Amino acid sequence: MSEAVVGTRIEREDGWGKVMGETHFPADVNRPGELYGAVLRSPHAHAHIRSVNVRAAAALPGVAGVFTAENVPHNAHGVLFRDQQVLVSERVRMVGDPIAAVVAETEKVARDAIARIEVDYQILPGLFDPEEAMKPDAPALHPDSHGSSNILYHLPIRRGDVQAGWAKADVVVEQEYRTQMLDHAFLQPEAVVAYVDERGHLVVKVATQYAHYDRGEIAHALGLKYSQVRVKTMAVGGAFGGREDISLQIIAGLMAWKTGKPVKMENTRTESFLSHSKRHPMRLYYKTGATREGKLVALEAKIIGDAGAYSSWSPNVLRKAAVHATGPYEIPNVQIDSYAVLTNNPYTGAMRAFGAAQPVLAYESQMDLLAEALGLSPLEMRLRNIFQVGSVTATGQMLTSSVGMTKCLQALTPYLATKGDAS
Amino acid sequence: MNIELRVNEQDFRLVVEPDERLLDVLRERLGLIGTKEGCGEGECGACTILMDGKAVNSCLVLAAQAVGHELMTIEGVGDRLHPHPLQKSFVELGAVQCGFCTPGMILSAKALLDRNLQPSEEEIKEAMSGNLCRCTGYDKIVKAVQRAAEEVAR
Repeated sequence: MSEAVVGTRIEREDGWGKVMGETHFPADVNRPGELYGAVLRSPHAHAHIRSVNVRAAAALPGVAGVFTAENVPHNAHGVLFRDQQVLVSERVRMVGDPIAAVVAETEKVARDAIARIEVDYQILPGLFDPEEAMKPDAPALHPDSHGSSNILYHLPIRRGDVQAGWAKADVVVEQEYRTQMLDHAFLQPEAVVAYVDERGHLVVKVATQYAHYDRGEIAHALGLKYSQVRVKTMAVGGAFGGREDISLQIIAGLMAWKTGKPVKMENTRTESFLSHSKRHPMRLYYKTGATREGKLVALEAKIIGDAGAYSSWSPNVLRKAAVHATGPYEIPNVQIDSYAVLTNNPYTGAMRAFGAAQPVLAYESQMDLLAEALGLSPLEMRLRNIFQVGSVTATGQMLTSSVGMTKCLQALTPYLATKGDAS
Repeated sequence: MNIELRVNEQDFRLVVEPDERLLDVLRERLGLIGTKEGCGEGECGACTILMDGKAVNSCLVLAAQAVGHELMTIEGVGDRLHPHPLQKSFVELGAVQCGFCTPGMILSAKALLDRNLQPSEEEIKEAMSGNLCRCTGYDKIVKAVQRAAEEVAR
């Protein structure tokens, strides 16, 4: 790419359509003769479904079809593991789990019909604390997909010898940090239009971050060939990781395929919150040691990420948290253990920075506390430990180029001085 | 019920339900899809339109309440051959990202510029405070409104 592009302003080619109001997000697409779909979601976090009675819903005038787990040919999807059901058959694992779907002539009829579905739930105690869920005697939430433990993923990282590191440490700071669950709250709630085209192929128009994956999951769940499914990505009204998993794609596709009619679905904001992934809340237990000269010598970190009810991207997110656990600082002796743990909380997945954001709170706070204990400025503490060309990371990677952090901090020094923070 | 609405200087005779939201009438009956629904409860501003020149959330207005008022949606603000200075500045300054908030942002800004051609940064922020951008492009949005104000004033 030409260097002349850097630092110049490029007009986005989709900008004009967006300022004119011409751009089509999926909710802006309509097909002649389309039906409207709605989903019944569980109000319980953990429950066994004894029965689902759809008779009253099916009998409502204007209803074209009611779907439950038994109508889904291959009832599973997921980005890493297919541990999430399209429509739950027996076991609800989080509030918002989809139980049944209705397709009707209007949205109003579809939503009225949903309210007439009777679900007999046997409510089970929920596991909401990941550290409780990790215990060996905790009931397994996914015995079929993930075995007898709720620990979905554990990554140990070892470098050097932490015992030797503690022996060299003049100061040690030990702290626990917690981050919260977040929703992406992208401005455009999920919407989808699915129909069968003139070739007999299923077309799904959706705002997605992952069209080729959606295509495979729709084909798999419906028992179709890959070549029979086409996913068209419409304008995406914000995503930030929250559109990497399946939302309404399979349900709408199923209803369009079975009825032969175009099917439109739109989440309300409430349904959007209930149904898509969240940012992982993490508990970070940090013990960091440094010498009197302000050189880091040892780190022990335990990171526990709440995966919620389904795996989604949790192993990858907790891997990234572990890889970033030292921050941009060279530490010769490191022991990091990172876990993703299944619970009955909303499932967590991709969100901006993908696991690299949460450890920042821990490792930068540790640096400030160490600086304070050593009587150094926070800036100096960082300059004495920051990655350079030739540094080796906790995972054993030798950094050979493009390590600009010292320059970056030096450039900030005058600014910090004016604020009185670089004393 | 039978109603008449005036939207973008055109008159429409419509049959609507008494509980039908103006937002749905604009989108579903008139095909004016530039007006967006982000929350349905007046929090996000994606459904902002102008009613007698004032920015309102069309999800909180019943269609019947709009009778007798002059309505403007994003489709009435400008077109590709004659873009409004706001539409031009939003594109040129990169104030558009996902674009879902953009029509509402432009209409709130238009309501401001139509009554105040020299708004301060604070006045712009206040006028836009009912419109959320989740791509967090607020800085560029404010700058785009400032540039449009300068162009309109010229």
